[in-house]
Amino acid sequence: MPTFPTDGWFQSFIELINRSAEYRAAAADWEGDIAFLVQAEPDIRVPDDVWGYLDLWHGACRGGGVVDAGTGERAAYVLSAPYTRWKDILLGELDPIKGMMQGKLKVRGDLPTIVRYVRAANELVRLTGEVDTVFPDEG
Amino acid sequence: MRAVVFADVGRVEVADVAAPVIERPTDAIVRVTRTAICGSDLHFLHGKAPIERGSVLGHEAVGVVESIGGDVTGVRPGDRVVVSFHIACGSCWFCRRGETALCEDHAILGAGPFGGDLPGAQAERVRVPFADTNLLAIPDAVDDERALFVGDVLTTGVYAATLAAVRPDETAAVVGLGPVGSCTVQALFALGAKTVFGIDVDPARRMVAQAAGAIPVDAARVNPQMILARATDDRGADVVIEAVGTPAAYETCVDLVRRGGRIVVVGMFAGEVTELQLGVYWARALEVRFAGLCPTHAYWQRTMTLLAEDRLDPSPIVSHRLSLEEAARGYELFDRRIATKVLLAP
Repeated sequence: MPTFPTDGWFQSFIELINRSAEYRAAAADWEGDIAFLVQAEPDIRVPDDVWGYLDLWHGACRGGGVVDAGTGERAAYVLSAPYTRWKDILLGELDPIKGMMQGKLKVRGDLPTIVRYVRAANELVRLTGEVDTVFPDEG
Repeated sequence: MRAVVFADVGRVEVADVAAPVIERPTDAIVRVTRTAICGSDLHFLHGKAPIERGSVLGHEAVGVVESIGGDVTGVRPGDRVVVSFHIACGSCWFCRRGETALCEDHAILGAGPFGGDLPGAQAERVRVPFADTNLLAIPDAVDDERALFVGDVLTTGVYAATLAAVRPDETAAVVGLGPVGSCTVQALFALGAKTVFGIDVDPARRMVAQAAGAIPVDAARVNPQMILARATDDRGADVVIEAVGTPAAYETCVDLVRRGGRIVVVGMFAGEVTELQLGVYWARALEVRFAGLCPTHAYWQRTMTLLAEDRLDPSPIVSHRLSLEEAARGYELFDRRIATKVLLAP
């Protein structure tokens, strides 16, 4: 099982995205890469910030994985939050749209566009929960 | 007389300069007994703010009134006084409202052309314009060293804490525990706060804040957002004070504050830019107050009283006490963050 947030975890996530008919339909005309900044929490065994990246294009993911900060920062959209917030999202305990509006999850990029693709976003979130995940703070 | 002057980018020196004289009937000349190096003095050292070579630096001073102009009535020669770090006229529309940092004739000692080209206070003597407004008498119960802080950083802390208006049942956080942040922590407690988190990566600064009652948070070891979330049933701090003056610190404040909470920005900004998600700010009902320069004159009497009552004590912030002649070393120590606060004695 891949550990979150490693490259292996993101590769499993990408596989699920590309197998999802729901995502393909909901994001059919989506154009824009997304970076995920998982902010460090050294006290719970997440010692460094981790940047994940998805090259999303017309309902599919053309590639991605863990990238360096420079690559992540150049993405059209950047979602950032502490590790614990991402874990809450993966476990279905935090709705990311609500999280954005509450300041628990920060977005850089055109927020109205993301909100218009809420169905696609919800499917991405659902898919994160489908990845068999090991959480480093529970190891 | 001897004074600390800007020599070149990266270099200050102590030199002989002309002693100040009364230029206007509202002036006073103060013989300086203690002065200090402030973080904003480093802007000149680094060449980030303009100043002529040979200009006297510094804006924090305490001393004894040596002579006064004919229109000065509030102080007399021999009085122990603290000097306000910024100079206000005391009579314009803003000054009459107590908003002296917005004075029509606003100036700052030792701050180059943007500060009105007034010679600074890191010297044996300093000329103080509008002396009735910009000098405050020091009570016998307060020594020079502690009174020095009333002219700038301690009063700035009281100002920030006043704007923050923290109730006893609220949780506050201070981002950045340099001299301003540290004084803000003390002032928050003095004004009634019960729970204050102090966030900084520097262990020495955290220790000072902890000694004042703050809960220290090492931003290099934990995620401050989650620490505040865990302490507040996942809401975030009721009030967050930005005491650094960087976009990153400001962003941290936005991360820490709860929905409907307040941010007070007391750290100094100049040309920095950051991105605001206005919809998120709106949805979160955030109240953001940019403090600007502290209107010292409206808050320094209250600060002096708190000091005289031992409810504030800036002494733990002082790491180095040097002679004026050692100023160059003091700047170096402060610039390398080896020193938390350097006092100079002429």
